[in-house]
Formats: sequence, structure tokens, C-alpha cells
Amino acid sequence: MKKTLATTLILALLLALAGMPLSADGHERWDGADDLAVNPLACGMGDEMMSDEDGDMEEGADEDMEMMEYDGGMVAMHDDTAGMDITLVDVPKLVGIGYFAATTLGQQQAAEELGNVSVTTDAPTEANIDDQIQVIDSYITQGVDGILFAANDPVAIAPVLRKALESGIHVVGYDANSEPDAREWFVNQAEFNGIAKALIDSLVDQMGADASFGIVTSTFTTPNQARWIAEMWAYAGACYPDLEWLETLEAQEDAGLSFQQAQTLINKYGEDLDGIFGMTSVATPASADAVNQAGLCEDVAVVGLATPNAMKPYVNEGCVRDVILWNPVDLGYAAVYVMRAVVDGEFKPGDTSVMAGRLGELVVVNGSEVLLGPPFTFTAENINDFDF
Amino acid sequence: MRKTRTDPRNPTLGEKLRRLLISQEGVLFLIMLVSVLFLSSRTDKFLTVDNLLQQGRFMTEIGLIAIPMTYIIITGGIDLSVGSILGLTAIVLGWTWQELGFPLELAIITGILSGTVAGFINGLFIVRVGVPPLIMTLATLALYRGLAEGISEARSARGYPEWFFQLGQGEFLGIPTQLWLLIVAVIIFGIILARTRLGRALYAIGNNETGARFSGLTVNRHLLFIYAFSGFMSAVAGYIFVSRVSTTRSDMGTGIELDVIAAVVLGGTSIFGGTGSIPGTIIGVVLIQLLKNGLTLSGVTSDATIVVIGSVLIFAILVNNFIQSRGDES
Repeated sequence: MKKTLATTLILALLLALAGMPLSADGHERWDGADDLAVNPLACGMGDEMMSDEDGDMEEGADEDMEMMEYDGGMVAMHDDTAGMDITLVDVPKLVGIGYFAATTLGQQQAAEELGNVSVTTDAPTEANIDDQIQVIDSYITQGVDGILFAANDPVAIAPVLRKALESGIHVVGYDANSEPDAREWFVNQAEFNGIAKALIDSLVDQMGADASFGIVTSTFTTPNQARWIAEMWAYAGACYPDLEWLETLEAQEDAGLSFQQAQTLINKYGEDLDGIFGMTSVATPASADAVNQAGLCEDVAVVGLATPNAMKPYVNEGCVRDVILWNPVDLGYAAVYVMRAVVDGEFKPGDTSVMAGRLGELVVVNGSEVLLGPPFTFTAENINDFDF
Repeated sequence: MRKTRTDPRNPTLGEKLRRLLISQEGVLFLIMLVSVLFLSSRTDKFLTVDNLLQQGRFMTEIGLIAIPMTYIIITGGIDLSVGSILGLTAIVLGWTWQELGFPLELAIITGILSGTVAGFINGLFIVRVGVPPLIMTLATLALYRGLAEGISEARSARGYPEWFFQLGQGEFLGIPTQLWLLIVAVIIFGIILARTRLGRALYAIGNNETGARFSGLTVNRHLLFIYAFSGFMSAVAGYIFVSRVSTTRSDMGTGIELDVIAAVVLGGTSIFGGTGSIPGTIIGVVLIQLLKNGLTLSGVTSDATIVVIGSVLIFAILVNNFIQSRGDES
């Protein structure tokens, strides 16, 4: 019995090792960055940037439009519901977590403002591709005017969304995209280069343009993290060439390991270390914890992607200044406005922007995506207003 | 109470009907009928041919895996690793095709073979080393899923040619292709369980394994076969799943083992072994799927739906226990 378990474990270990990628060679790029093309935003920082962000964004969008035609799907003929009351169903990845409770809140706010939209949120209680497909299929059978979704898998969800379009149901995605032709529009919460710029700008603002920093990421091959790091590398190279990148450490998405890796950076580089980037919502609070326990809050700036609840203790204590993410309430809010504009025929393929209530004008990027705007920075002033 | 005078070996038609009605399957079938009537009274979208066929498409994977699971539970065993085998098969299929450049046909065969081998390994350890099925398949639940994640490195294989989707998304004679497969499998393996030596051997093992051994049954060979069979059916389900959702992911089939076991147990198979049938299992699978769909269609949200399904599960088992114990007394 013991022998069996031991054999099983060894077998599993060997196979897992065999499956591991060999260490990425990062002569050119920072460790953990992918090899895809990068598209760094213009240099500039913080508030000053925010004010002329709109202008920049639109220019960028114009360029994009020339490069990229509308690549979303087309809804089949259906009854004209422009201006009439419409019923929408919202199918996020799962229900019962704070993040999607926040997007639902934003949707309800938009529905209330508009007055002629009702939205029901329904999704599996686990992020399961098949359950999500079945929920969407049921709502197609039931008959709704529009479907809002956040895909658990971009490809797996595509057939059922195409079926919705074929049945004359409008489809708009948010948070997690599907294949472009399976939906009409996707509300993109933040582009990789936007997040990268916000992270680097925050570090430079706190520690200066010649700061030295380390990165705690999930793994070198995790797609989102690799993309962000590549964009950070490109943006830092173009705007802050004096920034010194020390090392990137992998920590899966494991809180304990992330803490250890942050400690490794602190111990290894000591005085030289000015900042740590946390690339996952686990690594950022763990790094903040490590810095806090080492008593280095003043000397090492932790900047990263994380959810407000995990970071509240460190931000309220003053150990961490900026937490970068996007505002999921605005994300859900924008999705409903985009859907309403699509149903009313005010937002059509080829348009370069759409009006979204209190968020103002949102620009179209990448053919058929609506960009929510620059990433949202949670600070001591606003972090306590959020609960996710 | 005096017993009826009919000869038990030669019952009249009425007696046959009565027995059928108070059998596990009969009671369950009535519960299903009531549920269908109730749901169709709530929404006119539910009881349509299109919707029912679509539900048939969705339940095929669970139905296919529920067949060997019935066999296994009848012998007093359990297989928790079926969802992980499904995921492993999907990943092997996608990986051999995309990364190793196998022709797709060969990749499908490789995938199904590796699923079967995975089930065979379960059986081997259970039979030869004597690891309890619960422990062994709990271990491989983690191990096979880990393997799938390791091989795939969190990447999906996509972009299959059009013919590959025929099984999962196409139709044959107006009925979803995979549903044909399920129907054929149910008939064949239902007959095997109810009418052949192999079937009777499984009941014998479940009732008294030691007794079965001393009666000269090749218990080990039977067990080895059903666990490999379970791996095979999970693998076929994995292939169908990939074809239906047009991508492979290492988390495919997570938690499906619980859906399968719930359907099997709802269908009247005793978790302690010795009793159960394929018709019962299939009614269990259909009932759960129809409830899930019908409740969503009548405006109940998914989180409330699982509560209702759990309650129906308990209710059905209670009613069945009550009627069966009454039946034994009379």
C-alpha cells in the first residue's frame, strides 16, 4: 500500500518534470516575457497622462481602424427592438465571487439609468466550460433579446454564441473574450500595454527612473503574465532605459511560494532592491506581506495586479501605494450600454467609438473591441469603496 | 396478509405490470414523468423536439461514462478518476495532433488508447496490489489531471478540421450524432449486464466477492476488465466532448465523476454493490439533465437549480426505499 502510493507519487513527479518547459532563454527580453510583438504606449505619467489619454487613445484607435476591419459577428434578422424594453441575460464565468458580483452591480446601475433594459445574471457556480454552454443554450431556447458573457474558454463558447447570433439574439462579451466572429462586440477592460504602462509608471513615480526591481510572476509560460511582462519590457526600454531589471521569479499562483520568492528577492538584492512587481493577484499581496514583515515598506515599493480586498490591509497601512487593476463595476456598466447601443442601431460595425453613460465616450480597438479606458489604480483614497 | 396465489415463476400480465411499476426503475420513471409534466406546464419552451434533442446532446458524455460506472458500483467499487481520464484523453488527442504532428485519426485512437490504459492501471492496482478502489481512483483523479496539465502546459489545441466536429456538433437522421452512440451503447451494455454470464458475475462479485471467488469466478479478470472499460468509455466521452466544444483544455471533465455517480445512484444502483441496472442509470441521467434544463427555462437560476436537483435526488431515493421496503414486506 505504502509502496503503491510512493510509486504513484514518483511516477507523477517524473511525468510532471518531463512536461515542464526548459528554462526560457531571456537574453533579449526579461524572463517571463513572451516572444509576441509588443506595442508600448507613449511615454508619460500619471495624471498628466490621464488628461490627454482620450486624445491619444483616439489617435491610436484611428490607426487601428485602418489596420483592422470590424471582425465581430453579425446577428441574424430579428424583430426591431430599437428603443423598446429589452431583456438581457448576463452569463459570467461563474457566480458567487466578488469580482462578478461587482460586474453585475455595474450592469444593474446601467439598467436602472437606461430604464428600458432588464438584466438577469445567471451562471454556473463553478467556472466550468460545459455548464456555461448549457446555461447559454437554455437562454437561447427561452428567448432573450441579448446575451452578455464572460467566456470560460474563447473557443469552446463560440458555437453556442454563434447559435445565439443565428437566432437573432445580440451578443456582447466582457472580461474574457470569445472568438471575434462569435459575438458582436467585446468590452475590453484593459489592454496589455495599458496595464504594463500603469505598472512601470507607478514604480518610477515612487522610486525614480533609475530604480532596480524584481518580478514575481506565475510561470514563464502563463499567457497573460508573459504578455504583460513583454509589454513592460518594451515600455520601460522606450521610456525609462535606466530602470534596472534584476530577476523574475516563478511562483505559480501559490501564496506560500509567492511569499518565499519575494523574500528571496529581498534577501538576495538587499539595498539594491527598490521595487517588486506582483504579476498575479496572489503574488502581489504575498510580496506586500514579505516586504511588510521585513520592515522595508519605505524602501521597497510593491506594485502589482491584485483585487482590492486582498490589498486593503497593506494599502490602508501605507505599505503599498498603488494597486493596478480595472474597475469591474464600470466594466459591467459599459457592457450594458454597449448592448443597448447595438440594439438601438446606434453602434454599428465601422464605428470608432460608443457613448457609455457616465463613462463618456469609449473607443473601439482591435476591430471589434470597446476599450474601457486606462487601468484603474486602487489607492488609500478609493480602495475601501470596493468589495471584491 | 395473505400472499397472492399466482405462481411467481409464471405471473399474469397484471402482476408483471404491478412489479414493473413498483420496481426501482418504475418508481423513478414515474418521478421523471411527473417532473416533465410539471416543467412543461411552467414553460412551453421545454417540451419541444429541438430542446429535448439538444439536451440529449449535452447528456451523452455523462450517459456514456455512467454505463461502466454502473458496472463498477454493482461490484461494490467506485471510479472517481473518470473526469480526469476524460481530460487526459482530450489533452493527449490535442497534443499528439498539434505538437507531435500525428494525423488526426491516429491522434483520436492514441487518445482513446491512453484513456483505456489509464483505466487499466486503476484496475491493475486495485486487483494486484489490493488498493481499495476509492483510494486508488482518488489518487489517479489527481494524478491523471496533473498529467493532463503537465502535458498541455496550460495551452489548448484548437483549429480542428470540419469533419472532426461531425460527432459532437453534427446530426444523423435528425438526431445528434453522439446520441446514436449513447443509444447503441445503452442497448448493448444493458443487455450484457442483464442477460449474460458477465453481467451475472458482476452482481455475484458485488453481493459477495469471497463467495464469488470460491465459486470459481475469475473475479480479478472481471474487475480488471470493468475498470479498463471505464477508462475506455471516459476516453470516448472525452473525444466527443472535444468534438462538441471544438477545443481541448486540461480542466475538461472536472467534477463530472460526481454527476455520473449521482445519476447512477439515483437510478437505483446500491453504493454497497449487488443491485442496479442500466435502464435505471439512464433514467437517472435523463432526469437530472431534464431538471437542469427545465428549471433554467422556467426562470430558476443555476444556483437554485442545483439545490432543487439535490432535493429531488434525496426525495427519489427516499420514495424508492419506502416502496421497496413495503414491497419486501407484502
